[in-house]
Amino acid sequence: MAESAARHVVLMFERISEAIDAAQDRLSELDGVIGDADHGITMALGFHSVCAEFGRPGQHLSTASEVLDKAATTFLEAAGASTGPLYASAFRRASERLAGVERLDAAAVTAMLQGIAAGIGERGKAQRGDKTMLDAWLPAAEAGARAVACGLEGQAYWQEVIAAGEHGANATRSMVAMKGRAARAGQRSLGHIDPGAASTVIILQAMAEAMAEEVSTNPG
Amino acid sequence: MRKPEASSPAALPSSPQGRSVSGRTAADIAPSAPLRYGDDPYVWACWLYYEDGLTQSEVADAMGVSRATVNTYLAEARDRGIINISLEPSRLAALTIADDLKRHFGLQDCLVVPSDESRPLIDRLGTAGALAMRTILQSGDRLAVAWGRTVMSVAERLAVSPLQSLKDMTVVQATGSMPPTIACTPDLCTAAFGRALLARCVNISAPAIVGSPELVKQLEDEPLIASAFAALANANRIIFGISSLRSNSTIHASGFFESVSLQHYLARGAVGVLAGRFIDERGAAVEGPLDARTIGIQLDVLASIRTRVAVAGGFDKVPAILALLRGGFANVLITDAATGRGILNADGVKATRPRGAAAPRAPIPVKMHVKKFLNRPDDAVEEMLEGALKAHERYLAPISGSRRALVARDGPRPGKVGLVIGGGAGHEPCFLGYVGRGLADAVAVGNIFSSPPPNPIVACALAASGGAGVLFAYGNYAGDVMNFEMASEIAVQRGVEVRTVLTTDDIASSSREDRDGRRGVAGNVLIFKVAGAACDLGWSLDMCEVATRKANASTYTMGVALEPCSLPQIRRPTFDLGPNEIEVGIGIHGEPGVARAQMQSSDSIVDKVMDAIFAEMPSSPGDRVAVLVNSFGATPWMELYIIYRRVEQRLAARGLVVETNWIGPYCTSLDMAGASITIMRLDDELSQLLRHPCDTAYFKVTA
Repeated sequence: MAESAARHVVLMFERISEAIDAAQDRLSELDGVIGDADHGITMALGFHSVCAEFGRPGQHLSTASEVLDKAATTFLEAAGASTGPLYASAFRRASERLAGVERLDAAAVTAMLQGIAAGIGERGKAQRGDKTMLDAWLPAAEAGARAVACGLEGQAYWQEVIAAGEHGANATRSMVAMKGRAARAGQRSLGHIDPGAASTVIILQAMAEAMAEEVSTNPG
Repeated sequence: MRKPEASSPAALPSSPQGRSVSGRTAADIAPSAPLRYGDDPYVWACWLYYEDGLTQSEVADAMGVSRATVNTYLAEARDRGIINISLEPSRLAALTIADDLKRHFGLQDCLVVPSDESRPLIDRLGTAGALAMRTILQSGDRLAVAWGRTVMSVAERLAVSPLQSLKDMTVVQATGSMPPTIACTPDLCTAAFGRALLARCVNISAPAIVGSPELVKQLEDEPLIASAFAALANANRIIFGISSLRSNSTIHASGFFESVSLQHYLARGAVGVLAGRFIDERGAAVEGPLDARTIGIQLDVLASIRTRVAVAGGFDKVPAILALLRGGFANVLITDAATGRGILNADGVKATRPRGAAAPRAPIPVKMHVKKFLNRPDDAVEEMLEGALKAHERYLAPISGSRRALVARDGPRPGKVGLVIGGGAGHEPCFLGYVGRGLADAVAVGNIFSSPPPNPIVACALAASGGAGVLFAYGNYAGDVMNFEMASEIAVQRGVEVRTVLTTDDIASSSREDRDGRRGVAGNVLIFKVAGAACDLGWSLDMCEVATRKANASTYTMGVALEPCSLPQIRRPTFDLGPNEIEVGIGIHGEPGVARAQMQSSDSIVDKVMDAIFAEMPSSPGDRVAVLVNSFGATPWMELYIIYRRVEQRLAARGLVVETNWIGPYCTSLDMAGASITIMRLDDELSQLLRHPCDTAYFKVTA
């Protein structure tokens, strides 16, 4: 079971990487409006390296927690920028929350989402409403917890999570950036969606896609 | 606002014998005046009225004509264009915004002060608030007073000339009291208004927050406090500010909520605090553990007061102000133009008079594809480093094989503080061009416009360390701060003492009050130079840090972009700049600046930048400065010299002496066209450190 959970998380990173690749230009364009236009590039770079690391021969990661921990280390050194420390801390916290978890059910996935939100919050010292990726991650994690409480699983679960993430990301349009480079754009950041929050929605969608897939449990 | 311009300069009189006309009596000047003013009574009348500030009657006396005639002269002078009265355009914009705000939010009145960087926002809001209160308040009013810096500022401005004509005024404290950790507590604000209005003061003699809901009940039943609440219920005006829940807000300093984490309210969507009560983005009350323990005006009572004056400004407060307007808590708003525009933008209101061209933004590029010398775009940084290392072999060596961490060949040595700099690529020759003897000892290089990750920074710290500690100096960007902080933690674990100085020289990137929030731009180069010299002189880590901080505090930079840059991987402009537009206050990553402006002459652009610098930089004649005129990449030396020419003129006109200057591409933004101007104000120490010899690939000072 643990092996299957680990494979699901690896698959999750692959799907995220593909989805970020596809959206790279759009993300950089969003960033160009209020930041320095590199968000798509940095994200793509970070996830490419994570996937490449998983593909390295001799790499044996047997639990979801180990996979996330490896992703944290790799993402940090590959991405740099602000995204590096933020997602590295996110995956590190998620890894801790999933320690000992063998099955990626809705409760485990929620723990992962909460870990991600917590890691980003600690590292970036942002608050809700600061117009950052946290404005999408926090509501998504909270929606996950509510969905678990209501007994939702699978597609129904992810619908709730993604809707909350999307709503949060869209809400960044009416926020003034308080953190990161966009903060210097001051009021001119108004009306523009935060690129970090936009890429969060893409990640959530890719997560949902990966979790719905079957994975082979054959080694290799 | 009256700004006369006589149409014919020749007609302008000069003061006779150096004495002012207005200093004399009318009888004195009447006989001789027509001679000096030629035969033109219109110019004469205008001069006396507009320049000398005489009243129309005084002008009439001075000219020996009737007041009605003077009136005619003045009116005709306007018709004939002898005098032009022009309204400051920024004030006009303020009026437009005020109008839009009034209409959109159904306000009774709205006062918008023009954006003006030369005075702190709080002062300007205080002046405007005082102005508004003078027209709003009437004898017999019962004014409720909330608290906060802005409210206090209004009271202080009012107190400059107390409103003695108002009689029987009562001022009521709107919330309980707070510990005096700040200078604008409810009781102090109320007292200040009391003095300014010569009013009777009613205080709520209880803490704003008490231990339990039961205690609130008990206290509110106390006759003294009950009478204060009765007065509050009877108030017909209220003045209040709004606090955001940001970490820089007074709310945190006030101790008002120290017992409770704000997280509870944040999680329920609170965006602001109004007289001690939380509201969400729609202006609805947000319930939480504090409400039942708060002694003070209830939101529904506040909303029922007839005149509700909100005074607030600043970008960080936009969501909070928007919330209070949506909730209908204010019917009079006093704010500044930038905030007002931000509120309208955030609420999706289009400006009534769209400025410039068409309203919808043209979708990005005319220039879709920028040509660059590249092989594989993803290899750009690696190949650049490969070339740079070959070119500057004398100065630079990779640390343990990685080109992302470079050490000076002749830099680190035992007993010397090591200087580590670094940041994203794309600013060449920043940062690797400044590594060598007398300057930086090691540099960490990130991807384009991206901070390096912690590992190479740690490698730099270890390589630069000579046992006397290591100084990190880098620009203040969120990514760099996070990665350098992580690296610093690791280096400390490995036994290297690390100090950090963040450079914050870009005066366009945040307000003067938020100097620490500003970004570091081209002024980096001079700040690194000072730091490197201090290290090279064998100064202690403490002294190196202090000198570097002083260098940063004495350095002022502002940039202007003429054309956007483009990233190798994307090769399209990273932002959209119209054919006739420039971006004033641009960052070195193409971040938007403070304002879009129309293209104009070089001198007038330089003047804008120099005015902004002079508004911040304390100086007196004879002071020495260092100047850096920096190209963002595509602007050639020819233009840099044209810029420098004007910079020098402006400095000379202030009596400032340029001790040293550097002109060229020192901190670029890839292929951006544009330039920045940096002025470092020198004292003996900074001057000595700047002149200290150094030898690096791109920056050399010889003894």
